[in-house]
Amino acid sequence: MTRVLLSELTKTYPGTAAPALDRLTLDVPSGELIALLGPSGCGKTTTMKMIAGLLEPTSGDITFDGRSILWEKPENRGVVMVFQNYLLFPYMSVADNVGFGLRMRKVPKDQIAARVTEMLALVKLPDLGRRRPSELSGGQQQRVALARALIVQPKVLLLDEPLSNLDAHLRIEMRDLIRGIQKDLGITTIFVTHDHEEAVVLADRVALILNGQLRQYEVPDAFYRRPADAEVAAFFGGKNVLPGVSAHGTFDGPLGRLTLPDGARPGPGLLTFRPESVRIGPAPVNALKARVSERLYLGSRTRLRLTVGETVVDAVLSPDLVEGIRPGDEITINLPPGSLWIMAGTR
Amino acid sequence: MSDRMRIALLLAPAMTVIVVLFFGGLAVGVMRSFNWMPVIGLTEPNLDAYRAVLSDPDFLRSFGLTLYISITSTLISAVIAIAAALLLRQSFAGRGAINLLFQLNLTVPHIVGAIGVLYLFSQSGFFARMAFHIGLIARPAEFPALVFDPFAIGIILQYVWKEVPFIGVIVLAQMQALGTDYESVARSLGASRWQAFRHVLLPLILPGVLSASIIVFAFTFGAYEVPLLLGASHPQALPVLAYKTYTDVDLAARPEAMAMAVVIALLSALMIWAYLRATRARLRS
Amino acid sequence: MNGPSRLSRSMLVLSGALLIIWLILPLVPMLIWSFAHGWRFPDLLPQQWSLQAWDYALSDRSGTLESLGVTILIAALATLLSILVGVPAGRALGLYKFRGKGLIELMILAPVIVPGIAVALGLHSVFIQLGLTNTLAGVVLVHLVPTLPYMTLVMAGIFANYDPAHESQARSLGANAVQTFWHVTLPAIMPGIIVGGLFAFLVSWSQYILTLLIGGGRVITLPLLLFSFASAGRNDITGAIGIIYILPGILILLFTARHLSGSNGAVGGFGRI
Repeated sequence: MTRVLLSELTKTYPGTAAPALDRLTLDVPSGELIALLGPSGCGKTTTMKMIAGLLEPTSGDITFDGRSILWEKPENRGVVMVFQNYLLFPYMSVADNVGFGLRMRKVPKDQIAARVTEMLALVKLPDLGRRRPSELSGGQQQRVALARALIVQPKVLLLDEPLSNLDAHLRIEMRDLIRGIQKDLGITTIFVTHDHEEAVVLADRVALILNGQLRQYEVPDAFYRRPADAEVAAFFGGKNVLPGVSAHGTFDGPLGRLTLPDGARPGPGLLTFRPESVRIGPAPVNALKARVSERLYLGSRTRLRLTVGETVVDAVLSPDLVEGIRPGDEITINLPPGSLWIMAGTR
Repeated sequence: MSDRMRIALLLAPAMTVIVVLFFGGLAVGVMRSFNWMPVIGLTEPNLDAYRAVLSDPDFLRSFGLTLYISITSTLISAVIAIAAALLLRQSFAGRGAINLLFQLNLTVPHIVGAIGVLYLFSQSGFFARMAFHIGLIARPAEFPALVFDPFAIGIILQYVWKEVPFIGVIVLAQMQALGTDYESVARSLGASRWQAFRHVLLPLILPGVLSASIIVFAFTFGAYEVPLLLGASHPQALPVLAYKTYTDVDLAARPEAMAMAVVIALLSALMIWAYLRATRARLRS
Repeated sequence: MNGPSRLSRSMLVLSGALLIIWLILPLVPMLIWSFAHGWRFPDLLPQQWSLQAWDYALSDRSGTLESLGVTILIAALATLLSILVGVPAGRALGLYKFRGKGLIELMILAPVIVPGIAVALGLHSVFIQLGLTNTLAGVVLVHLVPTLPYMTLVMAGIFANYDPAHESQARSLGANAVQTFWHVTLPAIMPGIIVGGLFAFLVSWSQYILTLLIGGGRVITLPLLLFSFASAGRNDITGAIGIIYILPGILILLFTARHLSGSNGAVGGFGRI
């Protein structure tokens, strides 16, 4: 169990003006599974390589349980990185790949064999030890890469885009496998991804990095319900963002006066709510007349594009609630106050 | 037009050249080495030439010398080339210059390199002069014989000079295609810098190193002008001996020259076989 | 990989510098000799400088310019023929999978590995019958043996990354076969032709034993001339001719450097050899 603390971690590559990573401070509690989320080039892979010791920070510190590890060589840090493309050694069998780390530590052969068997069972790939990596599917290769990392009992596990090379149903399987193993072994795990869905399904907490800076670090749900600003909301696919002024528990904006939940940020700001939180039907507060301009079938959900006066509102509802509603219809909707959130900014 | 037809037409000119000139030349050489040439009336093949060649101590000495030169030059070149490629993978001042010099070196013919080595390492050459000036020797004859010498040091130096860039360029391209991620994985799994090289990078580049080395080995085994210029007068490198025997005033010696050529071809056939095994290993990975 | 320390950094630069010196060094005495007027042991530099060697090398008496012309002519013809023959073969090997392809590749590869002398002795006795010995045509033909494989293998590499659907697209847009080749295929494979042609030219340029044997001393290319001056101990003239001999290769390389840099077809071509 290892608590990882990044303090003011900065990396500026030679010949570039703007830092690739700008004073990142991040506290990763022991045994948690954290996502570093951001678009490509935001500095998340740089961060991971610095933790693994493959890159030297320009300034700042990395501590494990309060002890700085910056001067440790990569092989002595107890950090293992699993790359996105797995990078299994092609000329070694699966078993030799998994046992690699122990061979480097000169562990006796019979012990290695026993541990390899154990690890392959852990990732649910028994009996594949003699195969070559090229004979495995992508999902299997990833499990081998995971087993190869776990066999050395790392203090910290780093995963690079662990789900992005997998198709939809393999993703769920792999997510369950990674979460299961991670919780069982209690290894502090940090993974990077550019895909917010990958981040929220896998992580206990998500750290969103935009342009080299940490923008929000919270449980996944918060990014949908309480985004820090309009950019964060946009990164998570937020649709309904409206400017206005919040005062005394109400918000005046394009949709008229709306009742806010307790503790909403006062002053000029941006109102946002998830399309999923729009309700159909009348209500004592925040009821609005809306015209349906478009209806889009999404499979398990239906998206309605509504206009309230001049303002466009996106709603996503379950299909049985919207049966019979057609483009052109006028309906009543309401926005539960608890689903409204005021962000800083004025657009 | 069917694909088969199209392929046949596309390949026909090149295959004609290769089959007629290369395999034709090879076949005639083999036939003459057996004293078998029906068109000029030699209808009874025999092994006389091989018997004569293989019992000739000069030939055996030449063979041994040539083998020694090829093995030594190839090994030294491959080791230095790998080290140089590792160096060129890093970024440092002068890297661009070395890259350019490597490519320029590929364009310099062997004979020029041989002359350069002669002027550097002969007993009146540049290094001998340096040795004189720092008081190591008083006369040219005191400088160790590095050219025309029994250990073929000058020849080997020349091959190393030419072949390090050749192997180096191939290995460097391979390393750049691989990137450093495999080694990063190894390091994060607990391998030291040396272990990451020994257990991960080296096996990954080995097929390329092998196929380049095989080309170098075969080339040095069959090269003529370099040992002619830098070699001792006795024993001579095999290709030098073969050419001398072929152009001997005594035309009866020609089948023996052909037999030597066949020996060179056989050894390079062995190299092709080794090359194929190396490439197969590369394809498998 | 913890970022190179200052010590390993200076080791890096030091070994880099050694490598540079070692790569250039053999050419330095040649260059000095060509401007030397006598350069006796143990002088580190000539007592007197002169342009005599260059005067002589560039005069008619030395035969250098004639040799230069012959060498260029032979290399150019061998390159041209290699392109004409090697491009179609490269297309077949790069674009198609067919039975016996491995064998064909092996046959084309063989001359790269089998030394010229092993083939040339047999060829010589055939060329005598055909009247090709001691002629320029014979030398050009025999140079094809080592040049064609390089050309073909580079082109095979280029065609392996080439999508012939572009040609179908051009035809469907109304281009005829010639127009398609000229406007679509040729621009796409041009880098390969340049690189392969450069290889072929340089391979022909540096041939020694094939020229000596088939040319029979009548076709004197620069390496033959260079060798005769070198073995006669005329170091100054050897130096001048040596410089003349390596200049074209260096110039060609500098002009085509952009095609050669890094991991493109050129090195890929070498890798396939």
